[in-house]
Amino acid sequence: MKRYWMVVISALLVLALLAGCTPAGGTAKEAKYGLFMSHMTNAFTIELSDAVKSKAQELGVNLAVYDGGQDAAKQVSQVETAVNEGIAAIVIEPVSVDGIIPAIETAKKAKIPVVTVNQNISKPELVDCFVGVSHVEGGSVEMKAAMEMIGGKGKIAILLGPMGSDAQLGRSEGYKQVLASYPDVEVVFEQTANWKTDEALKLVENWLQTGTDLVAIVAQNDGMALGALKAVEDAKLGDKIKVFGLDATPDALAAVKEGRLAATVSQSTTEQGLKAMEAAVKLVKGEQVEKQIIVGHTLITKDNVDQFIK
Amino acid sequence: MDKAGFLKQRNRLDFASLREWGILIVFVLIVGILMLLSPSSFARPTNLINIVKQASINGILATGMTFVIISGGIDLSVGSIVALSGVIAASFAHPGEYPLIVPIVLSTLVGGVAGFLNGIGVAYGNIPPFIVTLGSMTMIRGMALIVARGSPVFNVTKAFENIAGGFLFDTIPYLVIYFVVTAAIGAFVLTRTVFGRRVYSVGGNEMAAKVSGIQVDRIKVAVYSISGFLAGVAGLLLASRIVSGNPTSGVSYELDAIAAVVIGGISLSGGSGKWYGAVIGALLIAVIGNGLDILNVSAHFQLLIKGAIIITAVLLDVKSKGNRT
Repeated sequence: MKRYWMVVISALLVLALLAGCTPAGGTAKEAKYGLFMSHMTNAFTIELSDAVKSKAQELGVNLAVYDGGQDAAKQVSQVETAVNEGIAAIVIEPVSVDGIIPAIETAKKAKIPVVTVNQNISKPELVDCFVGVSHVEGGSVEMKAAMEMIGGKGKIAILLGPMGSDAQLGRSEGYKQVLASYPDVEVVFEQTANWKTDEALKLVENWLQTGTDLVAIVAQNDGMALGALKAVEDAKLGDKIKVFGLDATPDALAAVKEGRLAATVSQSTTEQGLKAMEAAVKLVKGEQVEKQIIVGHTLITKDNVDQFIK
Repeated sequence: MDKAGFLKQRNRLDFASLREWGILIVFVLIVGILMLLSPSSFARPTNLINIVKQASINGILATGMTFVIISGGIDLSVGSIVALSGVIAASFAHPGEYPLIVPIVLSTLVGGVAGFLNGIGVAYGNIPPFIVTLGSMTMIRGMALIVARGSPVFNVTKAFENIAGGFLFDTIPYLVIYFVVTAAIGAFVLTRTVFGRRVYSVGGNEMAAKVSGIQVDRIKVAVYSISGFLAGVAGLLLASRIVSGNPTSGVSYELDAIAAVVIGGISLSGGSGKWYGAVIGALLIAVIGNGLDILNVSAHFQLLIKGAIIITAVLLDVKSKGNRT
């Protein structure tokens, strides 16, 4: 019997763990803004949420931050709870382009302004303002730089993000547009490494075993680019194969500065966060805000890397 | 024993030893097929070393998992321990801060302590291993994210990078050596020590083990501690290999380790399995991944093929053992 209760209690504990913590409800009546992040487990999401927080502080508004844990159902319930508590405005980085639509509809019914940041939802008409980047542009900035640095010919390999994700599809489209005008370039390998350094490392190690004469490896994020770089350097091919990344994470910037990574591309993450918070406050005040604010990408090479290193 | 009975037993023994080689035959078959499909790349000595290197981290995890599974348990927390120990290792490996021994000791110690606590929960809390390690998997992942503040820890010393990235005589990666040494020690403990035999007895029939005077609880704590410690080692090696500690790394590594153990013919119900099972399993998984990458098979098909090969390998193994799972 004692054992039975132990099992029940431990099962309940596990459930509590899995359910995660529900954010503490604000009872105060003052205007409170909510930032709903898809997750907070990489350099990009941390930088984005820090930017939103700093703008909120600058404008003197109250901001609560919710971590969706990459779970659409969790993000939906977080938004619904906040709407019930009478939140002033919602800044959201969606877990899923479709999955969170019911929550946004609830917010619209309650006449709460919604700003999506970095990624829009599949029903953009529900959103008052979208602040983000065009992944197609990001991919094309990166591939253009790669083409210039390899002189527009040779065999290249491409490391993709998770297949079917918005960023993967957009950046691949950008790659395609640029590659169309370089007939002397052959894409010999193209494979997903799911944004992961260790997967990219393994994959590129295996590609290099085939003895193909690559001149460049173009990765859709910096994490994968750094894995590719490690494989290339281990095989002592650092002077033959140029590696390109995207995101401008601190470790990638350091590698660019050391001349190991050929280039990375900044998504202007901080600017996205600042603009999104600004738009939310304006909407609450009843001011006019553009429906779409697109922030440009910036190419970072050895020449301009110093201005991006903090 | 009369002569007929004796012969019968002899026959059974011979047949049993043949059955044991089932998974090895599968392994040789798959390697053979890949050699035929891609003779210029797959069969090169450098690639064969590359494969063993890529199997190393999973192989070390699978060695720990072997102890847990033979004792009748399961350890889902190893992937999260890899992340936590990697993050801790990288955090103490910045240039000019601590001597190299500090990240090495701390990361493996953290793994061992996590495993020890898993063992306490299983043995003395009487909580099913699946639930204990499911809970600790989630908690430890959280700790890794907290320690790393959500983003990768980088900027480590060259000496740290060399732990996994270096080569012996400029040809054999250190990773391969760690894998071989771990597997050898695991094999020795499992087959040549009293402790090893007790792990089998606990997994085979816990009640009988208890009645015969084995301190079952202590054995359980020990096997989870071994698994946690080896996950700590794997985390240290992964951090060194990717030159950073990433709190989101190691996701689903526990499944790869369990797959390696199962492919190696070690029964999930405990009590049986050979010491080399995990080695063969880890190598087979690495061979398949490497072969498919070299043949440039799309990622979608790779998943399909890998899963099918895992099931087929185990099916052949089970069949060759005459339905004795």
